[in-house]
Amino acid sequence: MKTSRPALFVMTTVLLTLAIAQPAPLSAESAAQWTVQVSKVNPGAVGLSRSFQVAIYENLLHEVSKMNRFKEVLRDGDQKAANAPDLLLLKTVVEKYTAGSETRRAVTTVTGATKLTVHTQLSTPDGKIILERTVHGNVRFMGSNLRATHNLVRNIAKTIKKSSLPKPPSSVVTKAMNSTTSDDVVVVESP
Amino acid sequence: MTHPGVPFYCRPSDRLLKRWALTAFLVLVMACGTGAFAEDVSQPSNPPSSLPSTHLLGFAGARNNSKGTLSIEGDALQFKKNGKAAAVRVKIAAIHDLVLGDLSRQVGGVPVTLAKVAVPYSGGRAVSLFTHKKYDTLTLEYVDAEGGLHGAIFELKKGQAEGLRNELLDKGAPVSNAGNEPTKQTAEASSENK
Repeated sequence: MKTSRPALFVMTTVLLTLAIAQPAPLSAESAAQWTVQVSKVNPGAVGLSRSFQVAIYENLLHEVSKMNRFKEVLRDGDQKAANAPDLLLLKTVVEKYTAGSETRRAVTTVTGATKLTVHTQLSTPDGKIILERTVHGNVRFMGSNLRATHNLVRNIAKTIKKSSLPKPPSSVVTKAMNSTTSDDVVVVESP
Repeated sequence: MTHPGVPFYCRPSDRLLKRWALTAFLVLVMACGTGAFAEDVSQPSNPPSSLPSTHLLGFAGARNNSKGTLSIEGDALQFKKNGKAAAVRVKIAAIHDLVLGDLSRQVGGVPVTLAKVAVPYSGGRAVSLFTHKKYDTLTLEYVDAEGGLHGAIFELKKGQAEGLRNELLDKGAPVSNAGNEPTKQTAEASSENK
């Protein structure tokens, strides 16, 4: 069977056009309006050292900023958070921690892993929970103990990326205002 | 050379002997290298106002894992990267908390890691026992002009962080109740805290 070249070309073009014309995922679009404030890491009942807490906090800020899913990423205590209209709080509570040893990892390969388990929560300032997950991070073979925090934070970022966030309240209001006449009643849905 | 009385499987192979000699030589070289690394601990420390350190993460404006000098200049703590004129500064008054800790890490980087891999019969694992070094860590929390919390971790030579912390305390930096880390990150026995 012989297929003509122009027909193949046209078919490819049509397929490509269709693929490009597909709308972007709704979650990414809606989350672009939120501002997120990363809270200080809560060590919980675990005796996690301050350096690990700081490493998780700083890595989290870096990774969340890299995601481009939020309008702005604020630090804990930032005064701008008071005026941010669509604010989400990212809280992290440490649940489990196993102190490892880089030397043991290098010598034995199978022991000495540093493991971290945290409970991460994305919520509105009034306490409504948007996302809640338990995330693990560990370093088993190569790398220093602090690398566990880096791996943990990458997993948290992946979790946030995969999840679909609701539309922020202000965007719902704007959309409703645009689509209705002055006589209509505007219903505002909270996320 | 032939040994008519000895069967061939009992004779030492020249190749095997050469390999063992090479292994012994490599182990010796690495052990000497490790000794050189370990010497630094006993060296007299610099005056606490200017210390060579590695910025692990968090100090705004400085690259992660960059080597430089940590010093106190007037009312600020500054980190100056090696070979760069500009320094990153944070006012001591902005520091919220200071915590000392320690960590142990493998030294030598990629060359030593490759050498360890090259040692036959997994001999590199044994070398790992000697190619680690302990460091002090200085973890500090400070706030920026807008009230945002920052955290930074510096790695210093063993025994140097305490001097710097004391100097910062003298200049008015606050320190939490747990001035030192509650748990050692270098715990050789893996313990699970719940």
